[in-house]
Amino acid sequence: MKKKLTYILSLTILLVGGSCSKTELDVKNPNSPTPESAASEAGIVSLALGAVYRNGFNGITDTKYNGSWLGGSFWFLAPAYHDLLADVISSEAANNITNQVSVPDYVILDDGTKITNASPAKAVVRLNNSRTKAGTNMYYFEWTWMYFLNNACNRVLALVDQTAFTGDATSKKNAIKAWAYWWKGFAYSRIGSTYYAGLIKTDPDVVSNEYKKSSDIIAEANANFDKAITALNAVTNIPDYNTIVAGLIPSQNKVGKGGILTPTMWVHSINTMKARNLLVNKRLSAMTAADWNSILTLVNNGVTSSDLVFTGRSASVGGYSSATTGSVAPLTTGDPTSTTYKISERLIQEYKAGDKRLTNNYTSLITYLNQKGGFTFSTRYRLLDGGAGQSGVSVISSRTVGAYELFMAASYEENELMKAEVNIKLGNIATGLTSVDAVRTFQGAGVAVVSGVVTDPALAYEELRKERRVALVFRNIAFYDARRWGVLDDVSQGGGRTKAVVVNSTTGALNTNATINYNFLDYWDVPDDETSLNPPSATSAPVKNPKP
Amino acid sequence: MRKLLLMAAAFLFITGKLLAQKTVVGKVTDDQNNPIPNVSVIVKGTNAGTISKMDGTYSLTVPATGKVLIFSSVDMDPVELTIGAQSVLNAIMKTGDQTMSEIVITGSGVATSKKKLGISVETITADKLPIVSSLSQALIGKVAGAQISSTDGTPGARVNILLRGVNSLRGGTYPMILLDGIEVRATDLSAMDMSNVDRIEIVEGAASSTIYGAQGANGVIQIFSKKGKPGRMSINVSSSYGTSSYLNEGNLHKAKTHGFKTDANNNVVDANGVIIQVKPDGTYTAGVNINGVTQGGIVWNSTSPSNNGNKAYGQNFKYYDHLDQVLQSAQQHMTSLNINGGGDRVDYSFGISHNGQESNLKKNGELKRSSFSSNIGVEVFKNFKVRVGTQLIYSRDNFNPYFTAGPSQIFSMLNTSPFIDFEWKDANGDYAYVLPASPVSVNGRNPNYYYQYSFGSNKVIDVIQNVQANYKLNRFVELDFKYGINYQKQDVNQVYKNQSQNINALSRLSFIGGFSSNKGGISNTTYNTTFQNALSTATVRFDLQKDFNLKIPITTVSLVGYDYRKNVAKTYTTTGDGLQLYPIYNMTQTDTRTISTDRVTPFITFGTFFNQAIDYGNLGGIKGGFRSDFSSAFGNGSKAQTFYNGNAYFRLSQLKFWSEGRIGSIITEFKLRGGYGEAGIQPNAFDRYVTLSTAQVGSSLAFVTPSTQSNPDLIVEISKEKEIGADITAKLAKGNWFTGLTFSTTVWSRKSEDIIYTIDAPPSSGGGGLLTNAYSLSSKGYTFSLNLNVMKSKDMNWDFITNFNHQASKIDDVKGGADIVITSSAGYGNYVLRAGEKIGQLYGLKTFTSVDQLRQDGSRYIAKADVGKYQLVNGYVVDTSTKGLMFTNENYAFGDPNPKFNMSFINYISYKGFGLSFQLDWIYGSHLYNQTKEWMYRDGIHGDFGDEITVNGQTGAWSNYYISAYSDMWGSINGARNTVKDYFYEDASFLRLRNVSISYDAASLIKVKAIKKLEIVLTGRNLLTATKYTGFDPETNSGTSNSGFDRGVDYVTMPNSRSFMAGINLGF
Repeated sequence: MKKKLTYILSLTILLVGGSCSKTELDVKNPNSPTPESAASEAGIVSLALGAVYRNGFNGITDTKYNGSWLGGSFWFLAPAYHDLLADVISSEAANNITNQVSVPDYVILDDGTKITNASPAKAVVRLNNSRTKAGTNMYYFEWTWMYFLNNACNRVLALVDQTAFTGDATSKKNAIKAWAYWWKGFAYSRIGSTYYAGLIKTDPDVVSNEYKKSSDIIAEANANFDKAITALNAVTNIPDYNTIVAGLIPSQNKVGKGGILTPTMWVHSINTMKARNLLVNKRLSAMTAADWNSILTLVNNGVTSSDLVFTGRSASVGGYSSATTGSVAPLTTGDPTSTTYKISERLIQEYKAGDKRLTNNYTSLITYLNQKGGFTFSTRYRLLDGGAGQSGVSVISSRTVGAYELFMAASYEENELMKAEVNIKLGNIATGLTSVDAVRTFQGAGVAVVSGVVTDPALAYEELRKERRVALVFRNIAFYDARRWGVLDDVSQGGGRTKAVVVNSTTGALNTNATINYNFLDYWDVPDDETSLNPPSATSAPVKNPKP
Repeated sequence: MRKLLLMAAAFLFITGKLLAQKTVVGKVTDDQNNPIPNVSVIVKGTNAGTISKMDGTYSLTVPATGKVLIFSSVDMDPVELTIGAQSVLNAIMKTGDQTMSEIVITGSGVATSKKKLGISVETITADKLPIVSSLSQALIGKVAGAQISSTDGTPGARVNILLRGVNSLRGGTYPMILLDGIEVRATDLSAMDMSNVDRIEIVEGAASSTIYGAQGANGVIQIFSKKGKPGRMSINVSSSYGTSSYLNEGNLHKAKTHGFKTDANNNVVDANGVIIQVKPDGTYTAGVNINGVTQGGIVWNSTSPSNNGNKAYGQNFKYYDHLDQVLQSAQQHMTSLNINGGGDRVDYSFGISHNGQESNLKKNGELKRSSFSSNIGVEVFKNFKVRVGTQLIYSRDNFNPYFTAGPSQIFSMLNTSPFIDFEWKDANGDYAYVLPASPVSVNGRNPNYYYQYSFGSNKVIDVIQNVQANYKLNRFVELDFKYGINYQKQDVNQVYKNQSQNINALSRLSFIGGFSSNKGGISNTTYNTTFQNALSTATVRFDLQKDFNLKIPITTVSLVGYDYRKNVAKTYTTTGDGLQLYPIYNMTQTDTRTISTDRVTPFITFGTFFNQAIDYGNLGGIKGGFRSDFSSAFGNGSKAQTFYNGNAYFRLSQLKFWSEGRIGSIITEFKLRGGYGEAGIQPNAFDRYVTLSTAQVGSSLAFVTPSTQSNPDLIVEISKEKEIGADITAKLAKGNWFTGLTFSTTVWSRKSEDIIYTIDAPPSSGGGGLLTNAYSLSSKGYTFSLNLNVMKSKDMNWDFITNFNHQASKIDDVKGGADIVITSSAGYGNYVLRAGEKIGQLYGLKTFTSVDQLRQDGSRYIAKADVGKYQLVNGYVVDTSTKGLMFTNENYAFGDPNPKFNMSFINYISYKGFGLSFQLDWIYGSHLYNQTKEWMYRDGIHGDFGDEITVNGQTGAWSNYYISAYSDMWGSINGARNTVKDYFYEDASFLRLRNVSISYDAASLIKVKAIKKLEIVLTGRNLLTATKYTGFDPETNSGTSNSGFDRGVDYVTMPNSRSFMAGINLGF
């Protein structure tokens, strides 16, 4: 009996021992920091770093959108749509309808043959502007990445004033603020320069349905840039400022033109971006002398040849964009029979004879015929991986880890070419072409100087136009240029381009005097993914470009 | 007066007992002379009784009034023996009408005869399971009311189990698995030792899984392991060997002809007439070929209406059968040894088994699985039993990492043009990787490259350890305590070799592995799961007649319990980037090393439950109760969720008019039952915790705001279900034929509420979505099973079983009303979850089947004036000038991919020593999106491109007819490539001869006393399939295993296989 009791007792103990207190239930998530973790000096630097490189550039993680990706991160797709529409590259793969968005309405070949697109790209893109189409909606991507970036920066700003800093707290705090406002300015710049309307969102937790027209969004971009300048001007302790900025620029970026920008360099980048905002959001034909002078003021205090700027590079560890698929250039690099993007003949034709940048970056090959769809997409060129090794000549692509320098925002060349354009347009042809020559020298083009040689304003502008296409390739301005120059417009409205080089996709025959009618939309409609979940208020600006 | 009489009776009873009692002893055995323990032996008309011991013996003091002994046991026909003058009475008991007299425990927690159940519980015994390598495979078609399908033919792959409707979108449909009363959460059903199974019970829905509360909504599969029987030790050895070949029911093949530009000698040439040859990198692209000749690319004007794909291969381009080059017949074997026996107070069962199954992909390796199991029961003292059960499983495979990560080899194999030889090697003796022949074979990849440059291993150790203590305090109270620990450790090693010297990898700037460069790398991941489950119950039984001498035949059972579960899952991944050229493949040989994942996921839930059953004799009964659960995953963690249940049954056949009437002699059992129950599916462990995630950027750590916001207020998903059913047993004919049948049917309906899903947030909010209790779903269905004894004689027995199941689930409501769009692997399209529609529908473009095709707004696509430009070909509208098909540019729902019903027909026939069993499975009305085919259309690779059609009087293999199906929609030629189209949405109904087994037991022939069984078994599986589906296998789908909605796409899935096994079973 005693024995029995022992057993029963043990059983009872087991029964009771199995009981559990409710406090045990709060298991937390032991793997991850909490939002409170971000409210410290180290925490907010981590948050500000992640806001840009993760939430911003890699924020789309929903597989219904990224399931058919060819690469990874913002930099491989959003800028690619721009480069596709600007006829810098073409695509054969249907992923994210990259093969459809840039098929021109028609091409007239040298012999007068007209090849027409039965399904105009503008209509196809709009047909796909539906939330249920997910990954095939071109309008979705840039919008979403940039609003993710914007709001992640809003979270940083919401937290920064509550954070205690060591050392010169004002300088450190303002370094963080400059970072957040700079990237907000960047995001609004891209939204305002691309979409017909946008939203202004400053509170991280409040969604606005008051859509504003694109010029208002550009104004908001500039306002944020100005706030960044104000913050930079408040920096007094440079070592403390450097401590913060060093934590915000990923180690792999601190090479070449990348690194810890001084407040002055940073202000230069802002000025160049503000100049860009002005330049690219007006048709060339609509620019006034006042506009040109405003730009001149900005670019005269813009990025210099010795300034560090905002760049991106890949890394084998701690990368935020892959060396091989993370941006447009590496995805265009290699044999066009297997690359995602193919280099366009219309880019190659912009290189002047003897330009070393052509031979250092491309080889010609057996014509690659695009036999599906894109009747202007065939090409005789291959973009080289890491260049051909010519000393002192710029290299525009590499698939080696860390080798390719992606210019995320402003660069010296862009600033200098804006200077050139302003001067040419203001009649200072020689001064303007000096800037063109400077850029060519800077990139090791090895072509004869044009300043003082070319004097005709139209020819001077043509030098500038070609140089913008060539020097700023993969630098996110090609679409804006095509728009402001009217190239995207329908031929009937003075758009399109003539004297185009086109390889016939069926016969392989070379045409050098073709006419291409692109007829793409100049400003994009707001994606349905936004408007269906956040319908516009009654007082909102139109969210759809009224152009048919 | 009445008192007096009672007292007198009591006196007589006691004195009688004192004066004239005698002791009777004996042994209870079955008809095979095996002892039967736990048989209740009662003196008829009295309270006196005992229970037979482990060796079947009993001893009982019988009062003088006792004339007859009644022997009864759970699944045996009761036996009555007259005592007379004998003092030794041996009883032989026979297995009764099994289906209705079985005792089941799952669902109610108390051992209950099926006759007295108010809920439906399906049971299957081990002898009814086919010889296959996994338990989950064995259950296919066997369980009434369940949809179990083998959706992936990879050895060891999970099966899809859908018991009653879709209850959860994130939680999937996988049920809870119990082994001997304890949950097994870490170990998958497919890995559990099959040779150790005694029987399986399945409860399918909330109404029946009444005691499982917050984890019971998907139903429960409970496995009971083999237990030793008292008496002589028995030893069973089984071994079987066989081969399996992949299924290709739809004759999936590549086009045997082509439509490329050729010269007069039928050589494939470029635009300039240069004969195209392979290049040094293995491709057929433009450039200098191996003969030093500069060639352009292939010319394939696929969209031209005159392109005829009817040219033969055989000159410079040969035709290679890639299925033959990549797939194979595979070997498999299974061996097991079981020893069991027992003594008076101890029973034991030991088993070891070893299985091996090769992949049907050549060079892909083998899955091996070894198991040890034991089950030991000890009666420590009277009425106190301790049972210890163990299962140790070691599984390992060396499948290629590219295969285990997804069906890459199959995609590669199917999307390479057939003129490319996978066995071709470059000048260095290496395989080529990327195999384009622009404009075709764009996605061509060589599976052999993966095998050359990558390898891996996957090793899993599973431990399932259960301890049970049971004490029958007295005849009223039984205490039971169970504790189980289920531990799993999985080590995944993946190696991608340095590819920096491969000619093709260099020329195509491509490499495998996902590392930063073509130097490859290593990834090692360890998954560790420790799951514990403790369950304490007390059962209190009263028999009002016996215990309180009341004249009402009421028995009551009360069950009270406490259940505790804790799961801790850990993941740890180390990655090494960049390997050297020498063949040493460990972390220290890599350029940079990182820990890419270090994660622990704790989860705790516990609950108490109470259930009360009241039975009125054998006539009917009611049960009711509740379970209250706490969980670390519930919103804010602190509030309990209570789940209620109730059920009742009524046996009309026990009413006098029935049992004594004519009807009772035909329909011996007629039971109506009905139940209501609630059960849940819990949120994921961290759904309620708002955190930041981290990522390394440069050399620093970045904080990342998750795209989907956690929600501290989530509540458990709750499923509320009603079921009603009937169980009927009938005696049909008197002779040997059609002697009896049992019919069971259940009709159920359920509503699932607060289903958790991420609802999209507008992008400007800065995040992709919010996790919330977003959905209401509802499901309904009915099921029946029929068990017919076709023939029974001395030498022969023939049982026929058929199971039928219909079920459908739909979405009732979505929070906020907006559609939820979910990625599918079907084209560039998506599943859309929309209120009022069925779950898992695909949306896409419709092929015109009439020239009068209308838009959704009622307008015509083809203007009336243009109708003459089109004609019907194979039922589709074709533009006679382009020979292209026409597709809408608006999306339509295609309908439910889930079957309208699934049905099985099973026969067990034995004649003397021979046995024959076979099973037919019929899945009707299911659909698959043939994404495999759509991809193969892209470059004209699919066999259809060689099929001739007639357009406008011209007959040919017109490529644009097929290309248009891949590329076009109305208003956008080439603008709907790889878009979801009903052209590729196919009927995947099938009738499959699932299993045929022929056996012969030669033990009686050889007459060696020690050998009790010498059975030779031949088994064939998936031998024949009738289907209209044009892919490999209509049963597969590529959706996430057990997904609630992703069930209708075939995207280069590994097909099932047809296998033949020969085996021998030896019993000693």
